[in-house]
Amino acid sequence: MKQGRKREIISKMKSFPSMSGIAAKVLKLLDDPSSSADQVEQLLKQDPSLTANLLKLTNSSYFGIPSKVGSVRHAVAMLGWKRLSKLVMAACVSAITDRQLPGYDLPPGVLWQHSVAVSVTAEGLMRELKIAESDEIFTAALLHDLGKLILGGFVEKEIEEIEKVAARGIPFQMAEQAVLGTDHAEIGALMLESWSFPPKLVSAVRWHHDPDSAPETSSMTDIVHVANVLCLMIGIGIGVEGLHYEPSVLATKRLGIKHTQLELIASQTLEWAKELTDAV
Amino acid sequence: MKQLVQVGDMKVGVKGDEIVTYSLGSCLGLMIYDPVAHVGGMLHAMLPLSKINPEKAAANPYMFVDKGVPILFKAVYNLGGRKERLIVKAAGCGSPMGKNEMFKIGERNYTVLKKLLWKNGVLLKAEEVGDSISRTVYFDISTGQVTIKTGRNERLL
Repeated sequence: MKQGRKREIISKMKSFPSMSGIAAKVLKLLDDPSSSADQVEQLLKQDPSLTANLLKLTNSSYFGIPSKVGSVRHAVAMLGWKRLSKLVMAACVSAITDRQLPGYDLPPGVLWQHSVAVSVTAEGLMRELKIAESDEIFTAALLHDLGKLILGGFVEKEIEEIEKVAARGIPFQMAEQAVLGTDHAEIGALMLESWSFPPKLVSAVRWHHDPDSAPETSSMTDIVHVANVLCLMIGIGIGVEGLHYEPSVLATKRLGIKHTQLELIASQTLEWAKELTDAV
Repeated sequence: MKQLVQVGDMKVGVKGDEIVTYSLGSCLGLMIYDPVAHVGGMLHAMLPLSKINPEKAAANPYMFVDKGVPILFKAVYNLGGRKERLIVKAAGCGSPMGKNEMFKIGERNYTVLKKLLWKNGVLLKAEEVGDSISRTVYFDISTGQVTIKTGRNERLL
């Protein structure tokens, strides 16, 4: 029965409208060193709402660009390729995570706030721990809960059963797995895989609740894991499952993080997240 | 009037007001009430000690238990509350599952609160702290009644 349920969930996933087709093309262009700003601008022009979101995010105080950016061309010049791809992703994610999320009991906009908060927290941790800069961490963090968009409806129907399993002291994603045959981290990873996202990023999403089970450990997965728990603790995007997740002892050891560093980042998270969420 | 307390924030109220805070995870929700003057206030503090980020604490003392709690008491005294009549209740201070000490911010919040109250000779009348749940708190300033809600489950504190 569980296998059948998993198949049903995966077929729903396949019918999920892919993030703006334009976005996927833009990201591919940005990955290709031979593409030009002109090409990016031409492509973005086809999706006005994506472009509008992109410009709002570019002008948010998080990026600290002193003059107001009013065109895609200007944004490309001010941000550079790498940051632009981050922002294209953020603009896409904001478009699909602003709705109400059934099952997890999240009001409209809260998944977006949570996604942004985990992203800025992950970047903060990266700086604090002096881990080599990676733009992929921001994107992985932004997308870590993507699977909730698909799984929410299924969780809603089975919430009593899932909560019963979780009440036995089992982390929420494992209770999802026990009842539905899959969990939101796995579904999110499958979606990103089908959209040809880089394997490292897919893996960080897949194992964001259980980094020790990943076939290969990575600081990206560990950081997204820690940032996610921290944001839930301070109440950003905390839903029906509360804090019913188990942070890995090994992940914090691998990162070498101290509790004072974690608290310092927590004290800044709200402000960083607000700078971005206020923009859209 | 309904007043909303954000994370790292405090609100005080008088008869007729309701003070609400959402999504207490590891944060502390502290409610204090004078049943004679019918005044009260609520703090939603995120972290135990302000020394972690003094600059932030200067801009927003409510983020920290050690700075926010004394200001909450003073604000309620300013409305006519008296220390000897105050009813003090605590909620929140939850933690994720497992034994990772790093994430026991909720427990550290609670410890700092208890120390502060003890030093000042104030007792907690009621508390619902700990566990890995999210709590929303409704505080009715007309009656002093505190209601906690988690998902569909509602109870009085």
